[in-house]
Amino acid sequence: MIHDLGPQLFNGLVLGAFYAIVAIGLSLIMNLTGTINMAHGSFMTLAGYLAYSLVLRGTSFWFALIAAPLIVVVVGIVVERTLVRPLYKREPFYSLLMTFGLSLIAEEVYRLIWGPNGVPFSPPASLNGALSLGFMSFPTFRIFIAVVLVVAIVALALFLTRTRFGLRLRAAVQDTEMIAALGTNTQLLYAVNFGLGIFLAGIAGVLAGGMLGLSPTSGNALLMPAFVTVIIGGMGSLFGSIVGGLLIGLAISLTTLFIPAASEVSMYVLMAVVLLVRPRGLFGEEGIFG
Amino acid sequence: MTARSELLVGVVAVALLACAPFLSPVVHLDVSIVSEVLVTALAVMSVNLLLGYTGLPAFGNAAYFGLGAYGAALSVKYFAADFVVAVLIGTLAAVAGGLILGPFLLRRRGIYFGLLSIAFGQVFYFIAYRYTDVTGGEDGMNFPRPPVGLVHVAITETAFYYLALVVFVVCLIAFRTVVRSPFGRTLIAIRQNEARVRYLGLNTDRFIFVALLISATMAGLSGALFGLLINFAYPLELDWHQSGYFVLMMILGGGGTVWGSLVGSFIYVIGKDIISTITPLWQIFLGALFVACVLGFPRGIVGSLQALRRGGSQTAADEAANAAFDPNAPVEAGRGV
Amino acid sequence: MSRPVLSRRSFVTLAGAGSAAAAFGIPAYIPRIGEAAESIKIGLLEPYTGVYAGPAENETHGFEMAADAWNKRGGIMGRKIELVKEDEQNDPGVAAQKARKLVNQDKVLALVGTVSSGVSLSVAGVANSLGTLFIDSGGHTDDVTGKSCHWNVFRTCHSTWMETHATGYSLAKRFGKRWFLITPDYAYGHSLETGFKDVIARVNGTIVGDELTPLGTTDFSSYLTKIDAAKPDVVLVLVQGDDYTNCLKQMNQFGLLKKYPVGGPQVELEPLYGLPPEARQGYWGIEWYYKSDKTLGKGNKLAHEFVANTIKRYGKPPTARNAFGYVTLDRLAQAMSDAKSTDPVKVARAIEGVHFNSIFNGSGYYRKEDHQLMWPMWVAKIRPDGSPGDKYDLFDVTDIAAAEAIEQTVAQKEQVCKLGYP
Repeated sequence: MIHDLGPQLFNGLVLGAFYAIVAIGLSLIMNLTGTINMAHGSFMTLAGYLAYSLVLRGTSFWFALIAAPLIVVVVGIVVERTLVRPLYKREPFYSLLMTFGLSLIAEEVYRLIWGPNGVPFSPPASLNGALSLGFMSFPTFRIFIAVVLVVAIVALALFLTRTRFGLRLRAAVQDTEMIAALGTNTQLLYAVNFGLGIFLAGIAGVLAGGMLGLSPTSGNALLMPAFVTVIIGGMGSLFGSIVGGLLIGLAISLTTLFIPAASEVSMYVLMAVVLLVRPRGLFGEEGIFG
Repeated sequence: MTARSELLVGVVAVALLACAPFLSPVVHLDVSIVSEVLVTALAVMSVNLLLGYTGLPAFGNAAYFGLGAYGAALSVKYFAADFVVAVLIGTLAAVAGGLILGPFLLRRRGIYFGLLSIAFGQVFYFIAYRYTDVTGGEDGMNFPRPPVGLVHVAITETAFYYLALVVFVVCLIAFRTVVRSPFGRTLIAIRQNEARVRYLGLNTDRFIFVALLISATMAGLSGALFGLLINFAYPLELDWHQSGYFVLMMILGGGGTVWGSLVGSFIYVIGKDIISTITPLWQIFLGALFVACVLGFPRGIVGSLQALRRGGSQTAADEAANAAFDPNAPVEAGRGV
Repeated sequence: MSRPVLSRRSFVTLAGAGSAAAAFGIPAYIPRIGEAAESIKIGLLEPYTGVYAGPAENETHGFEMAADAWNKRGGIMGRKIELVKEDEQNDPGVAAQKARKLVNQDKVLALVGTVSSGVSLSVAGVANSLGTLFIDSGGHTDDVTGKSCHWNVFRTCHSTWMETHATGYSLAKRFGKRWFLITPDYAYGHSLETGFKDVIARVNGTIVGDELTPLGTTDFSSYLTKIDAAKPDVVLVLVQGDDYTNCLKQMNQFGLLKKYPVGGPQVELEPLYGLPPEARQGYWGIEWYYKSDKTLGKGNKLAHEFVANTIKRYGKPPTARNAFGYVTLDRLAQAMSDAKSTDPVKVARAIEGVHFNSIFNGSGYYRKEDHQLMWPMWVAKIRPDGSPGDKYDLFDVTDIAAAEAIEQTVAQKEQVCKLGYP
């Protein structure tokens, strides 16, 4: 059992890192405007598909890793300006429903463009091996995912704390009216914030496409864990999303060891418990949801 | 005048519905799909009560719907081959679910309530999927449609339809009575400002709990009837997507209105059936409907008609008495928890 | 004070709008109502949306080929076959309603199709209550020809039991008797598990690991890390669809595909195309294949024509799904022709027990006792990159198993299946 624990722990952490990156994107979008983005998974899948198409046309994986999310960001900002913006004044569940509808459209569109079966997308050969870590053999690609996450988090943290725009963003989360009164273009803020969240979704999507299968319905499977992560970690807290993600990853990995049947449902039980006991989550702050 | 015109509308609507078995083949529809409209309308009513009238995001009603369906299935398979008993047991199963989940759901409001509903719903979904010995898992449960015991009469599609119509009319009248009663008025008041209601000395938790139970009952009744309609119970009925579709139907028809549930159910069920026959791209239409409805049509059909009628002359008293949804109502501070 | 919900004016507006909507709907049906009265309509239910859209499309192509072949010869008893398609959306509730619509409104004389087991069972039930024939072309659950069998229900594709037994004996012989199972923790997985346990008992082997993966598992790493400790001879992957793709991709990334042989009860070309070549490994059960003498039969002209015509018409070779569709409709049409009738009971009697040759190796027959099509099943090794000049040629067929050797006996089936002819 102990001998199994090591690999499972390591596994859980890396898995959790992946959930964290998705959750942070969701959280960013939720914190500022209270928008619940049920289409987050669809954006992820789009990035995966675009990366696949780019690589098919001869670009390198590394190029696609950056380019695909950027293209998806453009799509995201268009969506934000046209469909999400009208809902800012309304209750959160409207955005939930609207983005849910969007995800239905997206799934069908992907099926039309890329076909109903999955597409074979894999990481470049350089990342496709495994690293021998003594107690286990670990896929290089997963380590790469963890590295990407760390880079992304550091970059995001720097952006939020060291740039003026990031400063405005944080201020806006706390008090949008005030910052508007101080002359900031809040509409630009909303758009960039949404774009940032979608960018992270895009990166996660390309990584997911390499690790898992890539089909029109891929986005659905990753959406719920991401939401649960945000809730557990705390809505309004990016740090909470990181911790939440790691916790979920570990929880899923470890329950597999002890009570496998419960591993996926344990997520929802955990979610319910957190909502009941401490709805703000572990690190949640005063935000849109009160 | 007004009470009479309302009665007139009701009678005409019921009369039209009563003719459905004869009208539906003309538009190339089987009567069973109109039965589905009526049965689904009950589930939409359950969401309407919580979301439309009380302002609570009811995203987990599929759980009660599914409990109703599985309850009826298990009843027919293991207990008694009787239609009425199956419906009763299915509904009771849903009520039990409401009793168990209610105290937990009560502790939160706003989007937390909604997320909690989703979480609970998913737990039920996983249970239905996993315990294949009892529920058949993803294969679902096939069960025959039993006769109504006392009469020993088999229930044909047409007979089922009229049964469903009777149940629907009874529920509609009950629904209307509830929402027009002081209890219903209190729910509307809670939707508009729960803190104020509490300051008036009312225990809002109790009101919400009763609303939850009524909602669970209606959703369970809907599920049991649906199971008996298609002779099948399956896990997808419990999934949060299904809850989402109920909410869509409510919005389509009009939250906070009495007839909105039927209108929404009608448009969604029949619309989906017709469009999916014409094109495999129906999902794009459905998604577009979601988006368009939320963005441009949040009051729904009945709600918009009501708003049109109110038009210019609107007093403060009218506003207060108006049950229907105001989608632009500001998000109140402190409504979250 | 009670207030009216709708004033008379509003009601009239609503009624007008409603009638307009209904009127708009009617023209959509005129093409179908106005069809030639003498055609034989067959209702085709497939999940054109959802995870099984790929197989659905291919089954439909198979159906269309069969319909065209018959219509070129003048149809059934001089009447043309007309396929009326509906999207069952992979939802048993929708499927039940569509089945009713097809029978009651479109007046189809038989129902065919379906991919997922839940939908197959739901449609079987409705068909039974309506007294209409239903041939399940693509739903694999044992129950369709087991405890949920009916006189009016037939099944073309292989049953779950057949899948496990066709591959189980082959894998045991080829690799060994210590098996590690990765099983999806729901009905389909449980029935596969039961089947494999039966085989392993018969060959005196052991199951050294059985990981039940719950619904929704996208990451299999926690299960894969247990394989090394169990030291199996072969790893059996029972998950299907998207899960199959995820699992194999991850096994490859963990280096497991190089360390252990891998196999499983069934794989289809549709999900394989979505798997990167380096993850395409192992020995799997297959239900038909377009490019092997073992599956088509040496010199089988009908089979080769079918393959060539499919490639010409649809731009890609047929998969097992195409074969399911083709055989289903072909035999249904033949039975109607033989019985000189479209009466369900007569046609059912004309289908069962009749031995026939078709687009596969050898002959087959729908067994009288349970209505399961008894035809061979095969095991194939995956060719990761296809063969030179044909990227679709992913299977190297290695074994063939006769139906009687891999399906439960009549005696066993009769204990659970009561057809109940009227």
